[in-house]
Amino acid sequence: MATYAEPTGTTAIGVKPRRAPWLKRIAWRILGAIFVLWAAATFVFFVQQLLPGNQATLIMNEQTGNQQSYTAAQLAPTEAKYGLDQPVMTRYWDYIKDLAHGDLGKSYTQHKSVTSIIGEQVGPTLVLTVTALALAWLLALATILFTSRRRKAVSALGSGWEIFSAGLPYYWLGVILLVVFAIELKVFPVQGGTSIEGLVLPALTLAIPLAGFIGQVTRDEFEKVLDQPFVTSARARGMGDLAVRFKHVLRHSVLPAITLSGWALGALISGAVIVETVFARPGIGQMIVGAAEHRDVPLVSGVVMLVAFIYVVANILVDIAYAIVDPRLRG
Amino acid sequence: MRKKERKLPVLVHPNASPRALRTHLTVLAAAAVALALAVGLSACGGSSATGAGGATDGSSSVPGATAASGNVVGTEGATKPTGTPKSGGTIRYAHEMETPCLTGGWIQEAYIERQYADNLVSETKGGKIVPWLATSWKTSPDHLTWTFTLKPGVKFTNGEPLDAKAVVDNFYAWLNPETLNPTVQTYIGEYFKSAKVINPTTFQLTLSKPYAPLLPVISQGYFGILSPSTYKGGAEAVCNEPVGSGPFIVQKWTHGQNITFVRNDNYDSAPQNAIHQGPAYAEKLIWSYVDDPTTRYGSLTTGQSNVIYDVPGPDWATAQNEYEVQQYITPGRPDTLDLNTINGPFKDQKVREAFAYGADRKAAVESAFEGKTPYNGNGALSQTTPNFNPDLEDTWPYDPQKAEQLLDQAGWKKNADGVREKDGKPLDILLIYGANSIITNEGATVLQDLQAQWKEVGFDVTLKPLAFAELFAAEYTKPTSYDATIGYWTSPTAGVMLITWRPWNGKEPNAYNNPFYNDPHLISLIEKGNASFTEADKDKYYGEAQEIVTKKVAAVVGVYTQETTLAVEPNLKGVWLEASQGEPVFSDAYFEGQS
Repeated sequence: MATYAEPTGTTAIGVKPRRAPWLKRIAWRILGAIFVLWAAATFVFFVQQLLPGNQATLIMNEQTGNQQSYTAAQLAPTEAKYGLDQPVMTRYWDYIKDLAHGDLGKSYTQHKSVTSIIGEQVGPTLVLTVTALALAWLLALATILFTSRRRKAVSALGSGWEIFSAGLPYYWLGVILLVVFAIELKVFPVQGGTSIEGLVLPALTLAIPLAGFIGQVTRDEFEKVLDQPFVTSARARGMGDLAVRFKHVLRHSVLPAITLSGWALGALISGAVIVETVFARPGIGQMIVGAAEHRDVPLVSGVVMLVAFIYVVANILVDIAYAIVDPRLRG
Repeated sequence: MRKKERKLPVLVHPNASPRALRTHLTVLAAAAVALALAVGLSACGGSSATGAGGATDGSSSVPGATAASGNVVGTEGATKPTGTPKSGGTIRYAHEMETPCLTGGWIQEAYIERQYADNLVSETKGGKIVPWLATSWKTSPDHLTWTFTLKPGVKFTNGEPLDAKAVVDNFYAWLNPETLNPTVQTYIGEYFKSAKVINPTTFQLTLSKPYAPLLPVISQGYFGILSPSTYKGGAEAVCNEPVGSGPFIVQKWTHGQNITFVRNDNYDSAPQNAIHQGPAYAEKLIWSYVDDPTTRYGSLTTGQSNVIYDVPGPDWATAQNEYEVQQYITPGRPDTLDLNTINGPFKDQKVREAFAYGADRKAAVESAFEGKTPYNGNGALSQTTPNFNPDLEDTWPYDPQKAEQLLDQAGWKKNADGVREKDGKPLDILLIYGANSIITNEGATVLQDLQAQWKEVGFDVTLKPLAFAELFAAEYTKPTSYDATIGYWTSPTAGVMLITWRPWNGKEPNAYNNPFYNDPHLISLIEKGNASFTEADKDKYYGEAQEIVTKKVAAVVGVYTQETTLAVEPNLKGVWLEASQGEPVFSDAYFEGQS
């Protein structure tokens, strides 16, 4: 999942896009996605095998809250129950086969199917990350539109803010927002749950640093475009400054930020791990922590597959967005 | 033997001043705090005993009479409100960590089970056992057969009858590998022989040997009675949809957020020591999970929660002024350093003693917990455990000179760097601990303070925090895994020592015998204690056992106690912590002024 799918990306923006028929491109895209998912599944399966410690021991201790070791005889029933007595390749094959059928297995700790656990939790996280991404764009674009190439002080303020905010750690920012706006001013709830008011602070926590990143990559491009002849000619036609910036310049300068957004959607999920804890929000972020802490193998694998899937989808969306923004790329 | 009042912990820091802001900054600084503070792992035990009528007390070691400050809260109207209770409302409770299941062997699961299930008996804060589902009980003269009479007409919240058959089913289900409750097994596994129905309201429990702590042991939440249909549903139902007969019913569990309990309107089986009989006053109980301490305390100060669990250390003093703060000092094994007696430098008793003398544990605890949590010098048992031996509290005072002398005698000489050496090997000590799970951040601070002092006498201590999974994978349970470790085991009985000192051997390792100290004489003393039905005998046998491990062999060095703390908003009355494990009880709680 770590692969922001370069190969597929280049196919889409390939040198001779017009010749690539739609069908072929979609087929490549799907194959690429399947490959990424398979690679993620394989990686996660074998990494879990390589971790030290006996899995049956872990399962038994998880269920008891204890930390003991067991004799082979004590371990046997658990090993049989979870198929741990099978050879590794048999288990790998079963795992991939189940995965192909959409079966992510059963959680060791919650005794429920991983699909249903993730299904319950993924909604709030998607709402949070998508809201955060949208907010980040709004914040970044507003800062760019109003501060780039302005008076020196204004521009410096804008780009300084971008650098500063991009470096803010989620935990620190989250707690500051929580203490100021929820605990002291009481504008927003402390435990937001899944309510709309409860979404504001967590989404802002994720959006502010990301807006800094988006702003940084957009600003350079934006300033370059401001020097282009077509900008001068637009101004010569009597177009207002803000309209020029918004209608002409912006479109040419957001491509790098769109690329960044594909990556950001995944990164926001890792940010959600912290933010969901600080704001006591349900979601897969909290679940990832629990699953990893408890080394709940099926659940961890399920979450990795989900994140891989989100990356794949995000990259497809990025390509579509490219095509919309830049007509040259439309096939 | 000893029945002294134990010292009360300093509850309010004398120099306490408003410092909410500092609190938050402190929290900020500790970025790592993001995750759960304490997970109470654990289990086990058995306690003060009692013959059949439940007589006894074990009590004076628990400061019932002295609880003027309202700290150690037991039951029996410890905080019985004076107003007229009113029905209605929703209690919002912010807990700390979420457990994988709604029942099981974790103490946090026992807390939840207390809300929707009833036990056979209940323990009062004086250590007395009183009726709950069982109205009376008697034992045979050889103490092997226990006959319990059940309250008639009790039903599970799904309508199934709670009769002798259901209770007997529970005993077998707890010990059945498919639906095992491992904590139950650790307690009674080796004592349980059989259970049978005599008539619908009478059942008989047969043990293989006398077990005096039986009643306190079964008063813990792990032993809540669940409906037979729950067990028929297998592990998945037991974990996710358990049905009991308690004051609340699990309505919905939103993972990662909360559990919604609704009132059991037909409830009429409260324990005798409840403040009132009949259905709970509150209509709903929302048990939410708020791991982050700043958020949890903030949810109380902004009125989003009515009660919070584990009052954060930095807010402890302020909370005393604004809220009803309750503190329960957990009995059982306290947070104790275990020294590896069979491998490494601690094989030599002199080195273990030097380690105990070498750092000021008491001062470190007082400073790290800001006066909230008491120091516990007895390494075997916590000060609130019945039959606790108070004479051992000052066994190893801070005495760096003695520590240095002992190390010199043991042949460890200081080198140029101030670290001691013997045969060219430095005095390196690997101390492992479960970070953010077994040992809280405050606990880790204690260890860091001690580490610096140990350095001065010549120990080079490495602190190694371990994650949950590393602990659960049992990778650190071998004699070569560590020189020292720290951990606790909550339990209402001194009988917990059988669990923590069962011999360790390579074939059937006992992971709770962390010092790897095997001593048949010790075990025979603990077993005699477990088979003693008078306080004098129990004090004698358990007392000597504590003395062996704490003083004679110095295999364990006490540090601080486990606890449950709650902060309750002022207009919510009648919340209490039960006595066996500090489980919060909400069935007597009501909002003042509500109609």
